[in-house]
Amino acid sequence: MNYKSVSEVKERLAKADYICSKETSTVVFLAEATQKPILVEGPAGVGKTELAKAVSRSLGRELIRLQCYEGLDEAKALYEWEYAKQLLYTQMVKEKIHDVIAGASTISEAIDKIAGEEDAFFSERFIQPRPLLQAICTKEPVVLLIDEVDKSDPEFEAFLLEVLSDFQVSIPEIGTRQAIQIPFVVLTSNNYRDMSDALKRRCIHLYIDYPDRNLEITIVLLKIPNIKERLAEQLVDTIRKIRELDLKKKPSISETLDWAKSLIALQADELSTELIIDTLNVICKYKSDIERVKAQIKTISSQIGLK
Amino acid sequence: MIDMIQQFASCCRAAGLRISTSEVLDCFRHLQLIDISDEMQFKTTLRTNFIKNYREQGKFDQLYHLFFHELRTDIEIARSTPLGSLVKDVLENLDQNSVDNPSKSILDFLSGDPIGFLEEVRSIQSEGNEPMQGPIKGPRSNLGSLARRLKIMLQIYAVQESIMNFLAENKSKFSWETNKNLKTYFSQRLDRARRYLHEDPPAYPDNSSHVTSYEKYLTQIGERNFASLTPKEVDEMRIVIAHWVRKLKDTIGLRYSRNNRGIIDVKQTLRDTMKYYGVPLKISYRKRPKRKGKIVTLCDVSGSVWSAARFMLNMLYSLQECFAKVRSFVFVADMDEVTRIFENNDINEAIDKALKEAKISYNADTDYGSAFRNFKRSYMDALNKKTTLIIIGDGRSNYTNPEEDIFDEMREKCRRVVWLNPEPKVFWYTGDSEMRTYEVYCHQLRVCGNLNQLMDFINDLVL
Ligand SMILES: Nc1ncnc2c1ncn2[C@@H]1O[C@H](COP(=O)(O)OP(=O)(O)O)[C@@H](O)[C@H]1O
Ligand SMILES: [Mg+2]
Repeated sequence: MNYKSVSEVKERLAKADYICSKETSTVVFLAEATQKPILVEGPAGVGKTELAKAVSRSLGRELIRLQCYEGLDEAKALYEWEYAKQLLYTQMVKEKIHDVIAGASTISEAIDKIAGEEDAFFSERFIQPRPLLQAICTKEPVVLLIDEVDKSDPEFEAFLLEVLSDFQVSIPEIGTRQAIQIPFVVLTSNNYRDMSDALKRRCIHLYIDYPDRNLEITIVLLKIPNIKERLAEQLVDTIRKIRELDLKKKPSISETLDWAKSLIALQADELSTELIIDTLNVICKYKSDIERVKAQIKTISSQIGLK
Repeated sequence: MIDMIQQFASCCRAAGLRISTSEVLDCFRHLQLIDISDEMQFKTTLRTNFIKNYREQGKFDQLYHLFFHELRTDIEIARSTPLGSLVKDVLENLDQNSVDNPSKSILDFLSGDPIGFLEEVRSIQSEGNEPMQGPIKGPRSNLGSLARRLKIMLQIYAVQESIMNFLAENKSKFSWETNKNLKTYFSQRLDRARRYLHEDPPAYPDNSSHVTSYEKYLTQIGERNFASLTPKEVDEMRIVIAHWVRKLKDTIGLRYSRNNRGIIDVKQTLRDTMKYYGVPLKISYRKRPKRKGKIVTLCDVSGSVWSAARFMLNMLYSLQECFAKVRSFVFVADMDEVTRIFENNDINEAIDKALKEAKISYNADTDYGSAFRNFKRSYMDALNKKTTLIIIGDGRSNYTNPEEDIFDEMREKCRRVVWLNPEPKVFWYTGDSEMRTYEVYCHQLRVCGNLNQLMDFINDLVL
């Protein structure tokens, strides 16, 4: 079921447990309506990956995920020949091969005859489809998540561009496969390196930033059902203050949610300076960051009005 | 509508954003699908098509505001109020009175066409901005952009003055009320131009620090002598190097894969068949570029040479996977191996540690001969026919025995010898320098006193 309007995107994503800004819903709407891939950038943990998942839930489409990493190549992304299976089949049909070459008087004649049967071994039966081929070959439209594309090598990016340009791949032994249904493509990037201009031109762009206050509170209330509204507000206010500090790694939505969970586990109803200090390791991963927050904690809690 | 979007795209281009025609066309298509009376949707649709990089978001916001909020209202005024036609008259008058007016772009800006002005501001920013955002805030690099900014500012003042003069002279033509309105109109618009000139686009948050246009930055810092860098600049240079190294690796990978996509590695495949009773069950493909050979570096760490050597080590170890092995030695009169330190530590820490932990005496006088004797005694097996031996030093050996025979022996053992000298060539053969003695044994000699020279060398080495 396709989206009909920008506001409908927002509602349906919310039903799929994803709260988003109007920018996000507008871009998702445009991408769906015009079948353009989205390139999502933003700091870690702001919900880039989750966006693709939520879109798949809200559209009722299967999610196919291609996780990128250094050294990822076409074979692992597209398809591989199942060499072992091919070999096994040749062993099993050995007898048949005798039949095939039965009338041959010379070796080259025998080889010609075998070659005539070669197609049988390079057929779809022996292909192991990887995410990209899966996404192209499915009968039902899917959501294709190409996660952390900035980690892949530039040569892989060039190949990806070919696929995203016409949603068509060619397998030399079998022929060209054209997508029956254009998948909804989401590429995510953490800005480890810049993507090529050509790839960027293929996509529309979405920058997801740390959420604004109300959005973040809504996310916390949605994802942590037992939390008191007051605690959620204090929590988000504190996190937002911490984000203003000069840290190695700023806490993201995932840290806010983790923190909320641990506070619930500690059965806290309200935040206090002490409680923040005791649970800082949930928010900050680096020791130097923890120290830096500790140094500022008095100021922060008085600004928010904590005990 | 289409005109307006096209005009906005031209403005963005004039301000330095790259927008292709296909992106403008996509944008048209998208605008038909949304509710353009909702500004958030409208703006997002423009942005998602025009800006494909988080770093340009701030610039976009600034231009969007200028174009759709400030200039649009001007054009509305110009079109639909009597004031508009008066404004036009005033501007035309000024324009005619001063042929080849350098402030043409400012007059255009006042009449609602900002493109020329945006281009001018942009040329200042692209020349002047790098040193400002980037590492060095040196007075030298900053002045040029300040001067040009000042020039435009003076032009704005000049335009303002001539407008005010014009209004004063023609006072009798307008009512008191109109005169006042014209004055406010022009001052507001000129203020806007001034603001745009001074404002830097808001920075967007980013989890990693990038030096955006490090290439331009390089040409400045790249020519500076290593010895003249401040500690802070040294730190900042590391970021630049890291960026460069990443790009170099990309180049290596790309070049390899273009030529050799999916080539079967026969050797490896045959080797694997042993495991499967001679059946080639597993086919191996060549994926990675073949590594270049081994590298052995000998670094003179006395005096100023160390500042050049540390950058070289930084680059070599950042590119470690391109080589079969990198071994490094430091010397003054004694020599010690520091490979371990580089293998077990982060590069930057290793560079600092290398000096502290090497077992050599720094107070000794530099003695290349003694260092070579040391090397011969303990490390000769580090060299073989796959090794490139890199020596980085000024060859100033305090008139001691240069031991060129040992150096000759070392050369015999390895594939290539490269000597990097941080001193300018004119000093090479003066005083206690043994360059003349050593140069006959080297395959290559290079001056290597700044980052550009060093990067040229490393480029040749790995590509
Ligand atoms: N807008 C949101 N609504 C609901 N949950 C969110 C939202 N943004 C982030 N999250 C949660 O935050 C966590 C991190 O999100 P993730 O998509 O992995 O981040 P990223 O891919 O950007 O690094 C996930 O557990 C996700 O459920
Ligand atoms: Mg992710």
